[in-house]
Amino acid sequence: MDINSLKHLPHIAKHHRRWLGFISLAAGIFVWWLIARYGGLPAFILPSPADVWTRFLRALLNGELARHTGATLLEVSLGLFSGVLFATILGYMLAKSRMLEQILSPYLVASQAVPLVAIAPLLVLWFGPGIFSKILICGLIVFFPVLVNTVVGIRAVPPAYYDLMRSLHATRGQILRYLEIPAALPIFFGGLRIGATLSVIGAVVGELVGADTGLGVLINIGRGTFDTPMVFVAVFTLVALALLLYGLVTWFEHRLLKWQEHIQQ
Amino acid sequence: MLKKIVLIMLGLALSLSACSTPKSASGALTKISLPMGYIPNVQFAPFYVAVEKRYFKDAGIEITFDYKFETDGVALVGANNLPFAVVSGEQVPLARAQGLPIVYVAAWYQKYPVAVVSKTSQNIQTPADLKGKKIGLPGLFGANYIGLDALLYSAGLAEKDVTLDSIGFNQVAALAADREQAASVYSANEPVQLKAQGYAINELQVADYVKLASNGIITNEKTITENPNLVRGFVKAFLHGLSDTIANPDEAYTISTKYVDTLAGADQKVQKEILARSIDEWKTDRLGMSDPQAWQNMNDTLLKMGSITKPLDVSKMFTNDFIP
Repeated sequence: MDINSLKHLPHIAKHHRRWLGFISLAAGIFVWWLIARYGGLPAFILPSPADVWTRFLRALLNGELARHTGATLLEVSLGLFSGVLFATILGYMLAKSRMLEQILSPYLVASQAVPLVAIAPLLVLWFGPGIFSKILICGLIVFFPVLVNTVVGIRAVPPAYYDLMRSLHATRGQILRYLEIPAALPIFFGGLRIGATLSVIGAVVGELVGADTGLGVLINIGRGTFDTPMVFVAVFTLVALALLLYGLVTWFEHRLLKWQEHIQQ
Repeated sequence: MLKKIVLIMLGLALSLSACSTPKSASGALTKISLPMGYIPNVQFAPFYVAVEKRYFKDAGIEITFDYKFETDGVALVGANNLPFAVVSGEQVPLARAQGLPIVYVAAWYQKYPVAVVSKTSQNIQTPADLKGKKIGLPGLFGANYIGLDALLYSAGLAEKDVTLDSIGFNQVAALAADREQAASVYSANEPVQLKAQGYAINELQVADYVKLASNGIITNEKTITENPNLVRGFVKAFLHGLSDTIANPDEAYTISTKYVDTLAGADQKVQKEILARSIDEWKTDRLGMSDPQAWQNMNDTLLKMGSITKPLDVSKMFTNDFIP
């Protein structure tokens, strides 16, 4: 081996690391195939990857998958947006007011102890089986992690920076825009990443209780007709949705926090 | 070996309760966990009576009730992880269409226990009156959905002629609040509750328009082949409990209070009415017998709905061989 080629080793290792995820995924599918093939299990217990792929193509071609995925995506988008909006506003207010925090924190903590699966039927009953109850469930599940991270993020701003802003005669709006928001963003995004993946669960919980469309409905139909490959297709689509949302949040995070990398460099 | 490990893991995942495999009892009782498909309820009185009067023990069976989703019970029996389950009739063709070798061995309900109810102000007197109406149902699956479609077909209607609204198990509240014009319900349950709350309602019983295979006992082909005596004993014990419940509802109700924690504190009049209406749906000349035409009708309904894609061999769905 030429001594010069060793210079390229770090680059080659980095290049191959990118494939590790795919290799891991392929290995997982292979193990799944082995169990399905040699475990002697019928498709209604464990369908093979080929069964699930065939079912996926059928659902894709007849429009079934697109219709249900579209409904879930709409609920998730609206639920995530509204949950994040309210959590951020309330989180900022709580971060600024200890009194408000003391008044509301028992309710907020108690709300996390309530299993959404148990109250989802009630929400459907109170607000009807339409999209609103799904958005609400979705928003509720997103709310808490975003709220907590907003509070922690705002409170993590060093007091010295406030002194600096005040010495520059910054207004409250300027402090918010140029100090608090940029300083709280890294922690806020941590909550948002959790909220984004949880929002998918929220939408499905609502759909499982009572809905006409959505991936939760597809799971119910698949279970009701013992179409296990269809259940797998719906579950994998939900995983893909969650990964997509997580990726989007991470992408935004990198874009918005680029300035931090420059400072660190 | 791999198959055993996977089956054990899946069995554990599907059921936290102890699962029993069908085996012949040599002196000792055969322990059986029975999936019931619903919560503890007075409607399960025949099973409670059969346990209380030792009919199952006399057949060499020690039974425990396992209240879970109906489809889980079907899957466990289909995989031969459990020998029996209590399920609704439509589960059999749906499961067999996907390769689950389950067989219906004893009919419990003779009438399909689904009805469409509406306030009298809606003036829905016949299935044809459902045209254009907004109908609430738990979801597009299960007995409520299939019963409703069968009722629509009986009047020459289809799903496109009505608006179906998936509302979860909130039919009573949805009708009371006029959110739905009609709702697909269990005929022995929600109509009684609506009447108890003072609402004047119309009921369209599915069983009055089409005979469909209803709730009963399923086992799997392997159990029938390898342990027919277990099946015979189980069916005999159950039918004995059923017969006693029909003959003496008050006694059955009292026994049920031992098995249904909430029954003692519930509205006795409503619960007794639920039992009385259920008994009306169980009565027949020869308990346990399946009507081949009911299975054919179920097969045809599911085909029309698109829930199964090709006709199935109806004769393999059920057997009357174990009826004493």
